[in-house]
Amino acid sequence: MLVPIFTLNLKHKVNAHMVTIGKYDGIHSSLTCATAAGKVLIHNPHVKSQIGRSEGDISLLSINQQVSSVCAGKLNPDIQNDVLAVGTLTNLMVYDIEKNADLFYKDTPDGSNAVVIGKLGNISPTMAIIGGNCSIQGFDLEGEENFWTVTGDNVCSLALLDFTNNGQNELVVGSEDYDIRVFREDEIIAEMTETESITCLCPMESTKFGYALANGTVGVYDKSSRYWRIKSKNQAVTIHSFDLDSDGVSELITGWSNGKIDARSDRTGEVIFKDNFNCAVAGVIQGDYRQDGGQQLICVSVDGEVRGYNPASEELRGNLMDTNMEQETIRELSQRKQNLMMELRNYEENMKAGVAASSILNARSQESGGGPVSADRPFPPGVEYDQSEMGVIPASTQLQTTLSVNPGDDNKPAHVELIVATTNDTIVRAVLIFAEGIFDGESHVVHPNVNTLSNCVRVPIVPPKDLPVDLHIKAFIGYKNCGQYHVFELTRQLPRYSMYVLGGSEIQEAKGTCSFQVNERVQRIVMWINQNFLLQEDVQCDSDGNVNFAFMSLRGSGPFHFKMDVSGTVTLKTDDMDLAGDIVQTLASFLNIDDLQTTIDYPEEMEKLRETLVKVDEYHAVRQKLTAEMADHSNLIRSLVVRAEDARLMGDMGNMKKGYTELYNMNRDLINGYKIRCGNHQELLASLKQVNQVIQKAGKMRVGKYKTQVVNACRAAIKSNNVNALFKIIKSGGS
Amino acid sequence: MMEINLTRVDYAQVGATSPKSLRLLPAAGKTQKVAVGDHKGIMQIFGIRKGDVQSVYKTQPGPKITRLELGGPVDGVRERVFIASGAEVRGFTKKGKNFLTFDTNMSEPIESIYVEGSDLLCCGKFMYNHYKDCKDTNFFLSGDQVSDVICLPSHIVKTLTPILACQDRVLRVLEESELLYEVEVPGPPVTLSLYGGDGGEDGTDVLFGTSDGRVGLVQIERDQPVHTWELPNEKRNGGILCLDNYDITADGVLDLILGRDDGLVEVYSYDDSGEPVHRHTHTCSESITSVQCGIVGNPGYEEIVCSTYAGWVMGLTTESKQKSAGADASILTVEGKDKIIGLRSDLEELQQKVMSEREKYQQTAQSTTAISAVPSFYINDKFVLNREDASYTLSLELQMPIDNVLLQSDVPIDLLDVEKNSAVVSYSACHPEEGNFLLATYRCQANTTRLELKIRSIEGQYGTIQAYITPRVQPKTCKVQQYQIKPLSLHQRTHVFDDNRPHNTLKLTGQFSQAEMHSWVCFCLPELPEKTPPGDSVQFHFMSTFLDTQLECNYSKGIATFRSDNISTISILKDVLTKEATKKKVRLDITYDINDDSIPYTLNLIHPKLEYQLLLAKKVQLIDALKELQVNENSVDFLSPEYRQILVDAEQLKLEYKRQPCHLERLYGMITDLFIDKFKFKGQNMKGRVPALLEVLDNYDLQTLVQFFEITQ
Repeated sequence: MLVPIFTLNLKHKVNAHMVTIGKYDGIHSSLTCATAAGKVLIHNPHVKSQIGRSEGDISLLSINQQVSSVCAGKLNPDIQNDVLAVGTLTNLMVYDIEKNADLFYKDTPDGSNAVVIGKLGNISPTMAIIGGNCSIQGFDLEGEENFWTVTGDNVCSLALLDFTNNGQNELVVGSEDYDIRVFREDEIIAEMTETESITCLCPMESTKFGYALANGTVGVYDKSSRYWRIKSKNQAVTIHSFDLDSDGVSELITGWSNGKIDARSDRTGEVIFKDNFNCAVAGVIQGDYRQDGGQQLICVSVDGEVRGYNPASEELRGNLMDTNMEQETIRELSQRKQNLMMELRNYEENMKAGVAASSILNARSQESGGGPVSADRPFPPGVEYDQSEMGVIPASTQLQTTLSVNPGDDNKPAHVELIVATTNDTIVRAVLIFAEGIFDGESHVVHPNVNTLSNCVRVPIVPPKDLPVDLHIKAFIGYKNCGQYHVFELTRQLPRYSMYVLGGSEIQEAKGTCSFQVNERVQRIVMWINQNFLLQEDVQCDSDGNVNFAFMSLRGSGPFHFKMDVSGTVTLKTDDMDLAGDIVQTLASFLNIDDLQTTIDYPEEMEKLRETLVKVDEYHAVRQKLTAEMADHSNLIRSLVVRAEDARLMGDMGNMKKGYTELYNMNRDLINGYKIRCGNHQELLASLKQVNQVIQKAGKMRVGKYKTQVVNACRAAIKSNNVNALFKIIKSGGS
Repeated sequence: MMEINLTRVDYAQVGATSPKSLRLLPAAGKTQKVAVGDHKGIMQIFGIRKGDVQSVYKTQPGPKITRLELGGPVDGVRERVFIASGAEVRGFTKKGKNFLTFDTNMSEPIESIYVEGSDLLCCGKFMYNHYKDCKDTNFFLSGDQVSDVICLPSHIVKTLTPILACQDRVLRVLEESELLYEVEVPGPPVTLSLYGGDGGEDGTDVLFGTSDGRVGLVQIERDQPVHTWELPNEKRNGGILCLDNYDITADGVLDLILGRDDGLVEVYSYDDSGEPVHRHTHTCSESITSVQCGIVGNPGYEEIVCSTYAGWVMGLTTESKQKSAGADASILTVEGKDKIIGLRSDLEELQQKVMSEREKYQQTAQSTTAISAVPSFYINDKFVLNREDASYTLSLELQMPIDNVLLQSDVPIDLLDVEKNSAVVSYSACHPEEGNFLLATYRCQANTTRLELKIRSIEGQYGTIQAYITPRVQPKTCKVQQYQIKPLSLHQRTHVFDDNRPHNTLKLTGQFSQAEMHSWVCFCLPELPEKTPPGDSVQFHFMSTFLDTQLECNYSKGIATFRSDNISTISILKDVLTKEATKKKVRLDITYDINDDSIPYTLNLIHPKLEYQLLLAKKVQLIDALKELQVNENSVDFLSPEYRQILVDAEQLKLEYKRQPCHLERLYGMITDLFIDKFKFKGQNMKGRVPALLEVLDNYDLQTLVQFFEITQ
């Protein structure tokens, strides 16, 4: 059994996710975590340090702002010392702990939800890379911005690893729109869609990486294919890769919200070790904490409890949990045997029941209407076999499912309708659908009222995003009032664009346009449409070989026209930039197009962008004004305090009272000012997010190098405040 | 104290087992033999040699065996095996010779038996029968379900003294066919055992275990009981199913071994004053139906032999398996290897067979005359009210792994998280107009055979919870189990009633029989026997687990009176009983007598709870702020002692707060109901005043609240 090699208590709260470790003097490892009240705690048992007020081995850095991420790393490759990067809601600070000095301090209005330090692709300086609202920035040692790009939504997690195995790091980004994107510098080279926000990412062996989602899933990817995943009812707070069983391959270590730590094999997800804390885990890291040259796995709980584990010794031979392999194997085999016996018994009993009632059943089949059993001709009651105890249905019962688009009416919003029906008079008692990402939880249940039971159940489904989804359907089939039902299980796939209904010429074309050229036969495009849209029957191109399909979005984003002529020009007409971008991306991957340039025209979106940019300027102005006011006020406060205290010392109570009353009023003004500042800041953040999103959407309309080009050109235009250039770039792709 | 190390060794797998249906035969040679009876009706006696089962005897399958007991001469060696199945009791010698087959002719199937010399005590659901030399001698009908029976050792206590463990929280002590007296115990007792196997020095000490997880020792004296000790269930572990006395710690003093329905096996030692002290816990994932201590697997090593609901027979042995297997447990022993190879080849064969059967089954889909009839499976379920937090625990256990459970409710309820359950829960959107107030799926992890859920109900809202349980066995089927949420769901049976409280009375007269009224009362209140109790008039007492208010039900043919200090209880009863009577087309005359003093009385009863909860909420709110101060100021000396105490108790406070989610909201709800109900009886609708009431509650003060109730007209 593997036991902790050391335990200690920091006696401070530790914020979840915000744990790191660094060698600030180049030699000794120091555990570093964000704690309550905007402070960062540094545990240095090995060095006596002078920073902050020292309390035992712990020193505290006051950040005085809410910390959102911490990361320690070597930003200057020339010296051995690690530096500490601390991200807050509005800025990034990089400290040299050893010298107790700021390296740089950057305003990052997009916030920094995640920070990593390392090298990315060909960019020569090592950078501190931060992920914020839709944007990713990289700063070098001097605080120079060397990298900037946008992503679909707020960034939750970042990891640097060699995804392509080319000897250079790529950046893996997890965001709130359920996507994992891989950036080779600023080009997206892979995109994987998950089922929830990606809360953690960690590099593993070579091209593998671990991930964790907000819904309790953890798993491992190798490049863009998923190896395994598991789901728990608890949430994974942190993941880390560490070779705990000394077999030369790292395991995925997960720290859970219920205090559990487990180590899972990177290949199978099998648990090889687990341990429990009394409260949620805050972070899992590794470092040489015993000064013996080895690495320990260090787990920190939110209550400040720290446990360190040495990798298992040779003698344990990978058996870390004190399990008796022999007993385990025997138990597992016996369990399997037991299950098979049960199944066998089911078949035997089924046969027996059939034989026992065979004469009646055979007679029935001669009768009109046929069928061995039905609602009004129940299974003949016998001594041994009673229908109330046993679910009996005709063996020929089949389950049929149909998917269709229902445009909705006044009472019902538009939805995709799944019809689950049996082929005889058996009833569908309930339908369970397990699918990810389209329901609030992982399942959706339809359980009709007892009085309205029939052999058919209609399930409305409203997929919130355009994604292909597997629906795992379980239907409970039987007769009214029976205590046991047959469970029919089957899987149906919902096509990617299921929330669009095909219409005719009555649908008005939208103003937004996106057009591009492809070298492909029209038939192939038609095939793609048939595969990806939910159509009652397959569509064809017209006699001239042109294509013009009109769809109506059921999510209220208006009409969508898909046109293509024989020359290979594709035109997408929709006001929904996301949809157009999505179509471009999926079509490009279907046709294996590496680079694709498009021209787009979205007059309404552009107008909105112009307004947003004006607003951003206004918010900036307001902010400056408010900051100046605050500075004035703080001077006033100083003088008021001095005056009031003087009065008190002089025994002049009248003036003291007056002074403090004024101070009180001033304080109130300050609080009000602060509230305005907060509001202003929120607005600014929202506007900046919108701008980032437009750039991201514009990028999404292009593929490959053109995509990178657009994003970079947009950033340059924004930096130089050249609004007109920005619009031009968005429209034509900016070459 | 010495640490106990117990290692699990699996011996055999039999069919599903009932509680107390595994016993160890007295030692003959170096090891003891195991006798176990299962639901397939097979009773088998086997020994263990080198980890392998050596069968001595095995009966043919038959009706399920509900109990297995040992018998023998009075004060002699108990080495005869008695099993109960249906209305029949059979006796076997230790070699397996069937020397007795006795049909009791009882009208109920036998649930529990006890053998003392030539006396056989049998209990059905409600009946108790005493047979002497197979002749019917005594009979008793219990007021509530009987879970277990035992009698004091007759060589010490000269008169035969049977004790019945009854569902209504009492032990009934009998003498011949008469009730000697009743012993009230803190929970519904389900299992009994003589202390030390012989009832102690006087032969009067009896251990009991309850379905809400408590254990106690009571002395059954001639005229009255003496409670010696009681072990509360603070950790809210599962209910006790079985207990045994044995010196497993080898310190010369007997230990107490408990088996619980959530899979815990616990060892307690006794301290100097004779009170039990917890020593060891072993966790299995299935209900422990029997625990028996002795030497079975290896001579010289004592062990706890357990059977689980799903039919595993295993030992928790003091022998360290690590040692015998060497430091490296991944290397197999020779016997183990053989066993595994054997199992593997069995499996392969079975797999082939199953494959061909599966194919055959699938082919029947082409036939128009064939049917698909999948046999039913047993569900070991329990739905009980917890007194501590006034919530229900629903536990479901199968013999096979559970795939998923769909929970549907036609009444508003809350599902609470149960820490030890690993299933992934997902709530589905639902429409009350379709009769669904809750639709939730539990997707179980592989090899889960037991699922525990926690449910919070609201008094006055009643209906049915349905659980659709799908096991992971082909062809897949699911079984429905229904559980009633009664209108007064948070009430619990008790045997005390305080007459001095101010009471509100509800009196019903009309053309109804006692049985009819009993069925209506049953509909309203939990923990009542379905059967109408004997006698001309019936009296039951209840206590609210949430508010500690009380209720007395008194009814006979044509007349029923209900008394409670809580006006809401009376109001709910009135509404539901009228509705039920109308359904049956019975006309009821209702009179009620509202005692205005009962309102301040009930409010006073709530007061300490409310005040405590408010204070707790306030303290918990302060913790984070205080902690921040502590970090900033580096010392807490400047804080008031009250605040410093909060910091000291922080963890405990948080834990307590977490343990009682929404407690405050529930109390507010109860007070609001009280308010509405008070005026309902006066014919006034006061719903409009509720916001004002909530305002008063926000700045809570007992006096103001009482005044608010009085002044509002």
